[in-house]
Amino acid sequence: MPHKILSVDDSLTIRMLVKRSFKNFDCVVIEACNGEEGLAAITKDRPDLIFLDITMPVMDGVTMLTKLKENPDLKTIPVIMLTAESGRENVAYIAKLGVRDYLVKPFKDDQLIEKAGRVLKLEPKPAAV
Amino acid sequence: MSTSNSAEDIAKTFGMEAVPESVKRLTQMIAGRGASIEEFGKFIAQDKELTARLLKFANPRAVDQFDYNITTVDGALQRTGMSIALLLAMGDPLVRGVLKTFKTMLDINLELMPVSSPFQEAHILGEVSFSGKANGKVQLRLTKASVPVIGERLLGMAPEDLADPAMAADVIGELCNMVAGNFKSNLCDAGLNCVLQPPKITITDDFKLQSVDGGNSERHPFRSPELPLFVDLGVNPWAGE
Repeated sequence: MPHKILSVDDSLTIRMLVKRSFKNFDCVVIEACNGEEGLAAITKDRPDLIFLDITMPVMDGVTMLTKLKENPDLKTIPVIMLTAESGRENVAYIAKLGVRDYLVKPFKDDQLIEKAGRVLKLEPKPAAV
Repeated sequence: MSTSNSAEDIAKTFGMEAVPESVKRLTQMIAGRGASIEEFGKFIAQDKELTARLLKFANPRAVDQFDYNITTVDGALQRTGMSIALLLAMGDPLVRGVLKTFKTMLDINLELMPVSSPFQEAHILGEVSFSGKANGKVQLRLTKASVPVIGERLLGMAPEDLADPAMAADVIGELCNMVAGNFKSNLCDAGLNCVLQPPKITITDDFKLQSVDGGNSERHPFRSPELPLFVDLGVNPWAGE
């Protein structure tokens, strides 16, 4: 079964970059453009890993993360923050909510893969039959 | 610094870069805002680069430093006000963020220029406002011809894929977000907590450096073989007082 990775970001550009980064791996990248859509996607698809932005309309990433951690069925899903927010007090607050890792934008594909590889066993995409 | 050791330690565990020296300097300047001009000036005088920029700002008509009427930091602060020194001190973290964003995301090595020819035609203006203890805005100005270059380097997109204005705005908006987000984080680390607004992308032929209520603005011209870029910073560092 391919890993399911959820990218929650209001920027289509970032979601495309995440998708591109994992195109050679046995992964399916699901997309959501705010925290509310993200929570709906988590309930529906139960991803193996979430990349989460902070500043988004409708519901921001910190609110989504807080709600996720309040849900006993979903709180163990690993979350990696992917955001331009690097203010130390905010990072410390988010870390205490319970995130697996934190990647500050700007970023390279390799960094995304390296961080995901600490959480998931990334396998090359099987050759098409 | 306003940042606690434990917060810095947590950031380290995530592999984040240390807070730049220029942000630490800015933190000290912000903490010293209640000081007299003389005390504030003594601190600035320890930084040669900041002193040189402040003197240049205080002598706008001078061709070079031999032409300066104002030659001391105290004199420059009396002429310009302390908020100019804060604006200039914020320039370094902003420039670092711009250089890093374009290098990391686009593999473009920008060079900061002392001056540069203005855009003569309609161009793209990406703006992110921030508000809180400091108010202001970061603006990126790019030529229309830069959009396909950025789209190709960032996402491998063909120029026709960027014909959709919403897609082009998303690409430019995300670059603005990265630059402004890093800068805002630096302001927060320096004790000026603020929040960002979503980026606004427009086409304009107005090249004027825009003012900010109660604040000052500075323009940073960049060049690379791939594209020209101007980054404007307007800030009122006293907004939260």
